Amino acid sequence: MSDRALVARRAALLMASAALMVVGTQDIRALRAYRETVVVSEAFTRQVPLSTYFDGIRGTLMDVPVFAFDSGVPGGSVLILGGAHAYEPASPVMAYVVMENIAVTQGRVFVIARANMSASTLGMLGNAYPPFFRVRTPWGEKKYRIGDRETHPLEQWPDPFTFVHYPSKQNLAYQDSRNMNRTFPGRPDGNLTERTSFAISELIRREKIDLTIDVHEASMGYPVVSTYVCHERAEELCMMAAMMLSAEQFPMKTENSPKSLRGLTHREIGDFTESFAVLMETPEPFIDKFVGPMTEALMLTGKDEFMQTAADRGLLYAEYDMKTGATLDYRVGRHLAGAAEVVKQMGEFYPGKKVLAAWPTYAEVMEKGIGAFLHDPAGADPSRVFRH
Amino acid sequence: MMLLQTLIHHTYFLLSAVVALLLLTRLFRRKSRPGLAYDIVYAYAIIPFILRALHVK
Repeated sequence: MSDRALVARRAALLMASAALMVVGTQDIRALRAYRETVVVSEAFTRQVPLSTYFDGIRGTLMDVPVFAFDSGVPGGSVLILGGAHAYEPASPVMAYVVMENIAVTQGRVFVIARANMSASTLGMLGNAYPPFFRVRTPWGEKKYRIGDRETHPLEQWPDPFTFVHYPSKQNLAYQDSRNMNRTFPGRPDGNLTERTSFAISELIRREKIDLTIDVHEASMGYPVVSTYVCHERAEELCMMAAMMLSAEQFPMKTENSPKSLRGLTHREIGDFTESFAVLMETPEPFIDKFVGPMTEALMLTGKDEFMQTAADRGLLYAEYDMKTGATLDYRVGRHLAGAAEVVKQMGEFYPGKKVLAAWPTYAEVMEKGIGAFLHDPAGADPSRVFRH
Repeated sequence: MMLLQTLIHHTYFLLSAVVALLLLTRLFRRKSRPGLAYDIVYAYAIIPFILRALHVK
């Protein structure tokens, strides 16, 4: 083969690789570029970047917006933290439903819908699930990112051999250096995830947040599913809230935050700030390891035959019936009710910290679906539409 | 420490670019293993390094 033919062949192969790169990364690039929209309610008062509380994350993807809903009436303050683990989407969607519908008559409510924005811009390696899911609304579909558990390596890499949690010095798995729910209370000169956790801790301290609710989802083979996990200072709030929910709406457990498990919000926010720290988990079959194909339908319905087999054999930590599954409506509804109940209990136990805030109830969401509570950005006042 | 981490992070991208460049050079200019199979391997192996250097994946 002549030199010219050889160069032409190699150039053609390089072009083929370039074509593969363009075609093969379409989903990856779309996920990274896509921004979710939220139409905030009339109770909205201001939005500031998280870097307002700690400059060390300014200009990064982690500099997420913090939305404030201030009644102007003295009372307590609540922070709803969504999306610390992006692949638990009932968490950010619950935050969006709150932001779009909240009415506050006493106290203040702060919402971060995508606490780890970076994690929401990639999928989990090897799990082959779709980048997005869509929620039907009366005016069309609303699209959300599914995301991963940890911060994107494009933002933070390489991982250490062992992640040493600050300040406890507890040794954790290497990937936990990018796991937002292992990096609290954060470190001002730490890695990006630690700095973001520190910024959130600073927000809690500076805004004198009385109650922090970190919203998650759990696999059903995990004992802490359908549970409040609470710092010991918040124990009585959670006990009462769990009892009320279990008696009136749906089964809810409560557990105290283990003192030896470091880096989690329910432990570190409780230890390093004045805030009551509560974490909520709903059942999310999508992230269980033994389910079938991880499709958009599984994300939205939670119906899976392998999950049913596990339930029949008594291997799950929550009730499961494939006929009803664990729909996104159910999971978001649970979170809405779970947050409302614990806020209510804070006001009962500590009248000076009372927050009167309303958002869609579990019953309303189960009846109408979450789509009924998500508003059309095209028809909304532009000053209340945010891309996220 | 932040500066050191940032430096390590960016060095990582730089290394990806260097490896990509090395593979690219070897694709077109190499004396041993001139066959088609090796051309394909070089052209394919370059993909992850370019994607990382360009902050795509």
